Amino acid sequence: MILGGHADVLAEVVQPVGHREWQRRDPLRYGQTFVTEVRVDPRTEIGGRRHFANSGPVMPEGGAIPRRRRRPSGEPPPLPRELGVSGKLLIGLTVLAVVTVLTIGIIGSAEAPIQRFEPRLVAAIARIRVPWLTAVMRAIDDLASPIALITIRVLILAILIVFRRWRHLFVFLGAVLSVELITYGLASFMGRPRPGGVTILAGWEGFSLPSRPIADVAVTAVSIVYALLPHGRYRDLAKYATAGILVLFAASQLYLAVSHPTDVFVGAIIGVTIPLVGFRWFCPNDVFPVTYGRGKTAHLDVGGRRGDAIRKAVEEQLGLVVTEIKPIGLEGSGGSTPVRLTTAASDDGASRARLFAKIYARNHVRADRWYKLGRTILYGRLEDETPFQTVRRFVEYEDYTLRLMHQEGLPSPRPHGVVEITPEREYMIVMEFFEGAEELGAAEVDDSIIDQGLGMIRRFWDLGLAHRDIKPSNLMVREGRLLLVDVFFVQVRPSPWRQAVDLGNMMLTLALSTDAERVYERALRFFSEDDLAEAFAATRGVASPTQVRSELKADGRDLLSRFRTLAPSRAPIRVQRWSIRRIGIIAGLSILTLFTIGLVQANWRAFT
Amino acid sequence: MRRAIPVLLVALLSLPACATSRSNEIRCGEGGAGILAAQAVPSATFVPCITAFPVGWSYGGFFAKTGTVRFWLDSDRAGIHAIQVELTRTCDTSGAVEVEDPDAGPAVRRFELPVSLEPRLSGSTFFTFTGGCVTFRYDFAPGAPSTLLLEAHQAIELFPRKEIVAMLDDLGWHLCGAEAPPCVGEGGS
Repeated sequence: MILGGHADVLAEVVQPVGHREWQRRDPLRYGQTFVTEVRVDPRTEIGGRRHFANSGPVMPEGGAIPRRRRRPSGEPPPLPRELGVSGKLLIGLTVLAVVTVLTIGIIGSAEAPIQRFEPRLVAAIARIRVPWLTAVMRAIDDLASPIALITIRVLILAILIVFRRWRHLFVFLGAVLSVELITYGLASFMGRPRPGGVTILAGWEGFSLPSRPIADVAVTAVSIVYALLPHGRYRDLAKYATAGILVLFAASQLYLAVSHPTDVFVGAIIGVTIPLVGFRWFCPNDVFPVTYGRGKTAHLDVGGRRGDAIRKAVEEQLGLVVTEIKPIGLEGSGGSTPVRLTTAASDDGASRARLFAKIYARNHVRADRWYKLGRTILYGRLEDETPFQTVRRFVEYEDYTLRLMHQEGLPSPRPHGVVEITPEREYMIVMEFFEGAEELGAAEVDDSIIDQGLGMIRRFWDLGLAHRDIKPSNLMVREGRLLLVDVFFVQVRPSPWRQAVDLGNMMLTLALSTDAERVYERALRFFSEDDLAEAFAATRGVASPTQVRSELKADGRDLLSRFRTLAPSRAPIRVQRWSIRRIGIIAGLSILTLFTIGLVQANWRAFT
Repeated sequence: MRRAIPVLLVALLSLPACATSRSNEIRCGEGGAGILAAQAVPSATFVPCITAFPVGWSYGGFFAKTGTVRFWLDSDRAGIHAIQVELTRTCDTSGAVEVEDPDAGPAVRRFELPVSLEPRLSGSTFFTFTGGCVTFRYDFAPGAPSTLLLEAHQAIELFPRKEIVAMLDDLGWHLCGAEAPPCVGEGGS
């Protein structure tokens, strides 16, 4: 029944028995009222009875669904995928570098024209040497000395550690290691000597192609740009500065006759491409922005081209005219870019309304994947879940949970559907915006709110669901009604442990605004003592969301211990779950780490 | 598949790092390593190189930078890096005894500096010549027979720089320094 989603199920009516009734006004354009009656009767709860029910399917009363435009075959999507100038340039240069390397590697014997031409070019440059310019070029070369580079790299590491930017730190280390390995390996493979027939005026080490000093400077400079500088003007300026530094350093390498032009070119491409791809892939600015203020300030940009695309997509796919797109709640959202949409009043009677929407891009899917991998390593199969493979599945799942909640009459945002922005890359899910609601922590919590919270969990249990993210910021209060937001983590047929944790977290959250004794007393109307004992045997440490843990700590009343005292004694349920998969992942990562450490140790000279 | 392409590219590019490339070997009269060695010590009139590996010997690695060239030979009996060959502009032969070496020729002087015979054979042999010095350092695993030293000596040759210069000239590629035309760009330094 839960999974089926048939309209006849929706039409089921439960007789009014409770003490509260709500009306919801649809925020969409139709201007019509939809009635959802939700009732709670604590006396009938234990034993698996349901507490919430819809009075019927949520459809416009007598109104026709507005016609929506179907994008014809061949027409570009609202936000077509484009590489951009820098992307095309980088790909072009990379292809050129690969072709050059292959050409020299395959047919580049000493007889090959390029092998004779390049030393002559370097010799021609050497003929114009003058003492003052030589001094300048030597100074530039000295600036990129191993000691200078290692000092800068250590400073980068220190800054990343101070600001706890671990992901950037690992990408930086990975980029440096990869550049060193690739340049070393390629140089050994190519075996190209230094420019011949000319006095080399600077120190060198190893073969000439690719130029390792250039690659070292490039990987360090690009890492500074992407790991230390916030997105925006300063980063843009730093990109130009990096290009300038590389040009200057390349000029010094040629002038001092340390490298051939091809060596410099290939070294620069390796040194730029690897960190660039690494940071863009593993630390996309949309999800892991570099900031030095409070919170996260940079998510997907919802202005400019994307803003226009959102407006167009919502109008075509949902039939709504968006007048304003405003990012909201960015501080607590690493998994999506949340926005508030304001829609215009229309001729056919729809009123101006506000909607809540979340934009999902591939970056978010990747972030989710890494997050889940981390959870698996730390806690085993704590979350009983596998990562999503595509952004489409990601957004489809949230749409499904929203519809499921709504179908079952749980007080969650009404779903308005999914909007395609860029196929397979970027989607937006649109839902009701709880206008005028305030977070549970800021609202007055009476027995009714406590009962609604506990009844909500009872309903989850009866339906075979778990919310898995019960915390103050996901519980809103409006006009005496408790509302539940962010249902992305909802799971169907979860483990009993997971359901018990939901109850524990709900009781802790409610007790933060009241007290443990009151919440416990009310809970006995919905749950047996054994249920409550199980909840507090399961709710331990990481089982609670970070916000619940930090607020408990700030509260200082040790509510968890108080609940455990009130509930019958029960042995703790362990959090750590061991599985073959977890052991395999940990073993694999340990081997990879040891291998990396070994490589760094073996190639320490390259790093210094 | 799309995900596999970058992984494959990185793997392909990294492969050389995992394998001992033949271009790393300083072979007499062939390969870029010999030219690089000649460039590292441009004053040296001879460059050490490998003629052929005796049975049980293999190449252990190569390192070249301005002023120094070094390579190692591994042996299944004498151990890893049992022989280290180093070319520098000068070397300290104090304490070493000069010995006759008819194979080395009149332009090369040979010095021996044995350190120990038992339990492990170790010591150095120096070859000095105009503009350079080759240090042949041996340090065998305990119990390794001393005849291996003779084998190792036979594997290494001092290749005249002028022959390298002549070979490269034929290919249109010019080496400067000792036994070669003067280098371009001397004046600008």
